Amino acid sequence: MHLVVCAKQIPDPETPPSAFKIDTVANAVVPVPGISPVLSPFDAQAAEAALRIKEKVGESKVTVISLGKESAQAAIKQVLAMGADEGVLLNDDAFEGGDSYTTAHALAAAIKKLGDVDAVICGRQAADWDMGQVGLGIAEELGWPGAIVAKDVQAADGALLVQRVLLDGFETVRMPLPAVITVSNELGDPRYPKLQQIMQAAKKTVTTWTAADLGLDAASVGKAGSRLRLERLAQPEAGGAVQIIEGDTPEAQAQALAQALRDARII
Amino acid sequence: MLTARGSDQRSDIRPVQSRARLLGAWWGPALGLSALGLITSVEAERTATREIFFNVAQPWAVYVFTASLVGLLIYGFGRHATLWAIGQPTPNLRDEVSQRLRNAVRLGLAQEKIGRDRYAAVMHWCIFSSIVVLTFVTAQVAIDDDFSLHFLRGPYYLFFSFYGDLFGLVGLVGVGMALYRRYIDNLHRIHWDERLEDHLIIWGLGLILLTGFAVESLRITVDELVQHPDWARWSFVSFGVAHFLALFEFEEPQLLSAHVWMWWGHLVLAMGWLGLIVFTKLDHMFFAPINAFLLRTDSPGRLTKIENIEEREVFGVGQIQDFTWKQLFELDACVSCGRCTAVCPANIAGQPLSPMHLIQDLKLHLADVGPAIQHAGHEGHDVRAVSPLAMVGEVIKDETLWACRTCGACVQECPVLIEHVPTIVDMRRYLVMDEARVPATAQAALENLEQRGHPWRGATLTRTSWMEGLGEVPIFDGSQEYLYWVGCAGSLVERNLPVTQSVFRLLREAGASFGVLGQEETCSGDPARRLGNEYLYQILAGQLVETFKAKNVQRVITNCPHCFNTFKNEYPQFGGRFEVLHHTEFLAKSLQQGDLKPQYPIAEQVTYHDSCYLGRMNGVYEAPRQIIEFLPGAKVTEMQRSMSRGLCCGAGGGNMWLEEVGARRVNHVRAEEAMQTGAQSVISNCPFCIQMFEDGIPAVQPQEEGRMRVFDVAELLDRAVFGTDGAGRGSQSS
Ligand code: SF4
Ligand code: SF4
Repeated sequence: MHLVVCAKQIPDPETPPSAFKIDTVANAVVPVPGISPVLSPFDAQAAEAALRIKEKVGESKVTVISLGKESAQAAIKQVLAMGADEGVLLNDDAFEGGDSYTTAHALAAAIKKLGDVDAVICGRQAADWDMGQVGLGIAEELGWPGAIVAKDVQAADGALLVQRVLLDGFETVRMPLPAVITVSNELGDPRYPKLQQIMQAAKKTVTTWTAADLGLDAASVGKAGSRLRLERLAQPEAGGAVQIIEGDTPEAQAQALAQALRDARII
Repeated sequence: MLTARGSDQRSDIRPVQSRARLLGAWWGPALGLSALGLITSVEAERTATREIFFNVAQPWAVYVFTASLVGLLIYGFGRHATLWAIGQPTPNLRDEVSQRLRNAVRLGLAQEKIGRDRYAAVMHWCIFSSIVVLTFVTAQVAIDDDFSLHFLRGPYYLFFSFYGDLFGLVGLVGVGMALYRRYIDNLHRIHWDERLEDHLIIWGLGLILLTGFAVESLRITVDELVQHPDWARWSFVSFGVAHFLALFEFEEPQLLSAHVWMWWGHLVLAMGWLGLIVFTKLDHMFFAPINAFLLRTDSPGRLTKIENIEEREVFGVGQIQDFTWKQLFELDACVSCGRCTAVCPANIAGQPLSPMHLIQDLKLHLADVGPAIQHAGHEGHDVRAVSPLAMVGEVIKDETLWACRTCGACVQECPVLIEHVPTIVDMRRYLVMDEARVPATAQAALENLEQRGHPWRGATLTRTSWMEGLGEVPIFDGSQEYLYWVGCAGSLVERNLPVTQSVFRLLREAGASFGVLGQEETCSGDPARRLGNEYLYQILAGQLVETFKAKNVQRVITNCPHCFNTFKNEYPQFGGRFEVLHHTEFLAKSLQQGDLKPQYPIAEQVTYHDSCYLGRMNGVYEAPRQIIEFLPGAKVTEMQRSMSRGLCCGAGGGNMWLEEVGARRVNHVRAEEAMQTGAQSVISNCPFCIQMFEDGIPAVQPQEEGRMRVFDVAELLDRAVFGTDGAGRGSQSS
């Protein structure tokens, strides 16, 4: 079985709030010096899901694809170290400034170029913009069935059994192949790579494809192809204040607290 | 001022001289008495002697027995040696030979470690010295007869009779003490791994000594008592017994046949007992001094570097043959005394680790699979396929390896000089790097180290947060004398910020020439190394050594004993040689030189907790205590376990990032110990210890009122120098 994992490199979600800055003129996040971008955590889970299937199903292969700049090599290497076999980086200036749609378009083109893919596994959303669109976008582009927010994915003779997280429980769906699945954090912790694999991954070369390699028209990707227009980017104001609730008895204090919460329309 | 410090702890500071004196004192009277005997005996009959094999017809048996014993010993140790040989080469053995020889004498023959338990020290010396002297006595008898030298005559014979009896008596005292400890006092630790051999050895020795006296007494009853009572007197114990026997007025043939029986009994017992050396822990009489010679000569705080890690096939120790042969040898030296387990913080808290059982389990595993591995190696088969059990995971459980704090308490106590910590960390390395079997919280810390250069997942502070409100903070540029290394805990963990700020203010007040790295600080790598990710450690340490060199760092003051230890003891493995001071060392010196003037009273009862990596691993016990002595009005009560016996706070060895499994948490145990002193606050020197106490104290003392508080030494000194209202603290430059 040939599985593709889509992985995105994002600004570190653990950047300390005091260091996180936005350039309101350029409408962009200012990279924090000394804080390197990381692999989106949901995508690490996507890799974990793919590797679990690979371990069970003989003769499987996992390819990781990332759309990003040269630095995204690190994210690809991380998935390779976890046990993926090959890595592809979609790197082209033309890809810059795109939205979920253009990203899905480019990734789908790359998957088509790979040819023999049985399933694509993505994280439920990238942990920077939290859109959660790319997975189903790829399914749409490829015309494959898609299932989102999976907590478990199992191979079952020529199909995938996908357990999906719902608001009030789970549902298990049987996906004919080829298919696209996005996984959620309920899947469990991604594995810690073995050193042997880290060193093998370091030696592997990552294939780089440009828009031209994928036969994509530069106008259909990146900023040019983008259907989403960013109006304004702003940082929420964070602040705090303390109000001491007075009262002679615990009951009186509780009453005063309840009143204060009601006045603030919290309860 | 420093007050209630027990003499026990005092003697801890200079263990070498005082212990040596204690043990030396023992030989003094014995030899003195003997010499006195020698002098007085010169005046005695010059013809005094005896017939060596008096009354015994087949003395040849002695030689048959001796020859078989020697054969047995050679065979037994030869078999052991083939097992040790499956191990890897042991590095650095040829370095520091003179230090090694000194260790062999001081720790092996003079048994300095046993002195940490006084009762055991006296007991063991009684037994040890009597075995040595009586073996010597027996050898003289044999030589006297075999080589027809006949030197056992005249005054020397009388002197010989005297010290033979003396050390027989000494041996009996030792055996008596051992019996008392095992059966009456019931000391817990010696029953944890009790086996048949423990009973055999001690009862056997007692019987040998008793039959020895019986043989001697019977002989004296029959001959010397009648013919030369003035000679007989020298064998003072047997002389007394002989007098007692004489009261019964046995017939001579009765006495003679009893003598023959006793003689044979004594011989068989003695030879049998010596044969036990091969099969039981009695082998420690040879292995302990050898292991003392093999003991590392560098700091116990240093873990070995895996050289050329990228070219390895196995990282760390996954199978028994991956250990060095010294590590395998060590397993056979263990006497199951339980000292290590008795002081192990994990064990004390009821967690799944007992260093004694760990060593014993490995020893058993070596005996189980060693021969087959040796055979497979010989035949050129795959040695890794031999063991039916996974050593890491099945013989030694994962949770056992994770429970270790690398606190070194076990190593400190072990009388046969076993080094548990490297052995445990070697297996952890395998667990992490080969198997990638890492508990989730530790994995998060390691991934954080890889991605963010610090182990604190979810940290919301930055490396410069602590600088707020301190005025201008000098950035190190190579022109200052010291680099003040704040560390990840000192800058990213809320609780430790005040400590960092205190140290900073005090350094500035003391007029030190220093700077910090601020945003450019990374992790020293210590957590990665203790957690077993040597590869990550080597990357982090290598980078930092380069940074230090590029910035021309010569001297470093650290906040954290873990950074301190790795800079000082481990960075030289990467070519980084810097002078490293812990802040308590620098501040103690500043106080002595009068650069800092504590003037505000700290009228408080305090107790002091030694962190493992400042104390046991690096021997810095005094500097922090000296600072406390300078705090006006502070009174110190030491905890029962302190200085080299101090108990770990629970966070060492990467346990800051591990979930504890077991009955209790180590920090709760230690918090209780601190509270038992009745002090109002507990003082430490390590950001981890402080966090552990902050956590542990409320857990064991839920009431907020009168709850013990936790401080770093620097925080109290800061209060004493600048006052509580911070009057003198404000920034001097702005
Ligand atoms: S180093 Fe400390 S925690 Fe580890 S086994 Fe030894 S005594 Fe126990
Ligand atoms: S390892 Fe050392 S301290 Fe522990 S039981 Fe064995 S001999 Fe005793």
